[in-house]
Amino acid sequence: MYLAVNPSDELPLYRQIMRQIVEAIAGGRLKSGDRLASHRELSEQLVIAPLTVKRAYDELEALGFIETQRGRGTFVCASPPPVDRAGRLDHLRLEARKLLADAYLSGLDLGEVVKILKDADREIARGPRREKEKV
Amino acid sequence: MTPVLEFLNVSRSYKKGVPVLTGVSFSLNESEIAGLLGRNAAGKTTLIHTAMGLLSPDGGAVRVFGLSPTEDPVEVKRRIGFVSEDQVLPPGSSVAELIAFHRYLFSAWDQALERQLLDRFSLPRGSRIGKLSKGQARQAALLCAVCHRPELLLLDEPAGGLDAVARREFLETSIQLSNREGTAILFSSHHMTDVERIGGRVILLDQGKVRLDRDLDRIREDICLAVVPRASAPDAAVIERTAGCLRVRPVFDDWHAVMEGTPETARRQLTDSLGIDGIRCVRVPLEDLFIELVGGER
Repeated sequence: MYLAVNPSDELPLYRQIMRQIVEAIAGGRLKSGDRLASHRELSEQLVIAPLTVKRAYDELEALGFIETQRGRGTFVCASPPPVDRAGRLDHLRLEARKLLADAYLSGLDLGEVVKILKDADREIARGPRREKEKV
Repeated sequence: MTPVLEFLNVSRSYKKGVPVLTGVSFSLNESEIAGLLGRNAAGKTTLIHTAMGLLSPDGGAVRVFGLSPTEDPVEVKRRIGFVSEDQVLPPGSSVAELIAFHRYLFSAWDQALERQLLDRFSLPRGSRIGKLSKGQARQAALLCAVCHRPELLLLDEPAGGLDAVARREFLETSIQLSNREGTAILFSSHHMTDVERIGGRVILLDQGKVRLDRDLDRIREDICLAVVPRASAPDAAVIERTAGCLRVRPVFDDWHAVMEGTPETARRQLTDSLGIDGIRCVRVPLEDLFIELVGGER
C-alpha cells in the first residue's frame, strides 16, 4: 500500500499514517487479513523514525483496526471495530451540521459542499495521489 | 537499562565568565533519535564534542554507555560514530585508503555494510578525498562513521551544504542503522523538515540551556502559539504569569506567546488571566515554534 507523509503538515506524522490506513480500510483498499508493512519496512520506505511508525500502529491496534501477531506481522482486523450504530449516526449528524455551518460561513452553498464530499469519497476510494514530495 | 548517552547538569565555558553550556541534563536511550536544535552559538557543537570526550565538562558529568568519555576514551570511541559539517578528512589519501584505515582501527568493522554503502553512494574508490564533491566527502565520512556499527551516532549538522537528494540519502542510511542495530542518534540540524521527519524527539538548546526536550508528536499536539494584541498587556511578564506560558515576545503590534496545551485550552487560559477577548491561538510548524522560542524581539 502506498503512503505519503508530509513532515511540515500540521498533523503529526503518526497521525498522518493512522489517517491514511483508516481511510484505506474505509475505502476498501485494505481488507481484513491484509498484511501491513513492518515498522522497519515502513520507516525505511518513508524515511521517518521507526518509533513514529510504532506509535501509529499501537494507536490503530488500540482502536481495533489492526492486530499484531507475534512473529507473523501486522494485519488488518477480521472484524471492524464494534460500532454503536445509533450513537455513530448522532455523532455524524452533529459533524455534518458543523461542516455545513463552516461551509456557509465561508460562503459556500450546499451544492459546493456536496461536490467536496464527492471529491473526498473518490480520494478515500483511490488513495493519495503519488506526487513528488518536496524536500 | 543504562542510557546510551547521559548529560548530568553539565557546564562548560571556554572563557571565564562566558558559559557555553549551563546545567544541561538529558539522556538518550537505545534506538532513540533526537534532533538537537538551537541558533548558531547556542552550544550544540560544544555539547556534541563533550559527548565525544573531545572536551571535558567544567561541572556536572557526561556518561556514554555508563562510561566517562574522557576517562575511557578508547572504549567509548570504539562504540560511537561521528560526522560533522566541517570534518577534515585527509585530502591526499584515496577513498579506499581512508576506508582501509578505519577498517584497521575498528575490530567490529562490517565489510558487507561497507560494500553496500560504497555501491549506494557510488563513491570512486581511487579518487583523492580532496577531489571529491562536498556531498561525496560527507558520504565517505558517514561510511567511516557507521561501518563499525556504532551504538551511538553523533551528527553535527551533517546535512549542512548538501542538496536535497544527498540529505535524504544521509537520513535513509541513518534510519537503517538505527533500525538494524538499535543505534541511538543525536543530530544537530538547521533543516527543520529533516528534524520533523526522522527526529522522534527534539532537544532545543538556547543560550547553553535545554529550553525544550520533548517528543515531536507531543510538541505538535500540546504546544501552540497565541497572538495577543499589544495593547492588552503592559509588558511580557503579565502574560508570562499565565499558567502554561513558555515564552512571550513582542512582534510588531502583538505579543506572541508560546503556550502549553491545545489552541482551545490556551485561549481559555489567556482570556481568563488577562480578562480580554480577541486572542488567537494556532498550532504552528516546528520552524515557527523554534523562531518563537529562541528568536529576538521584532
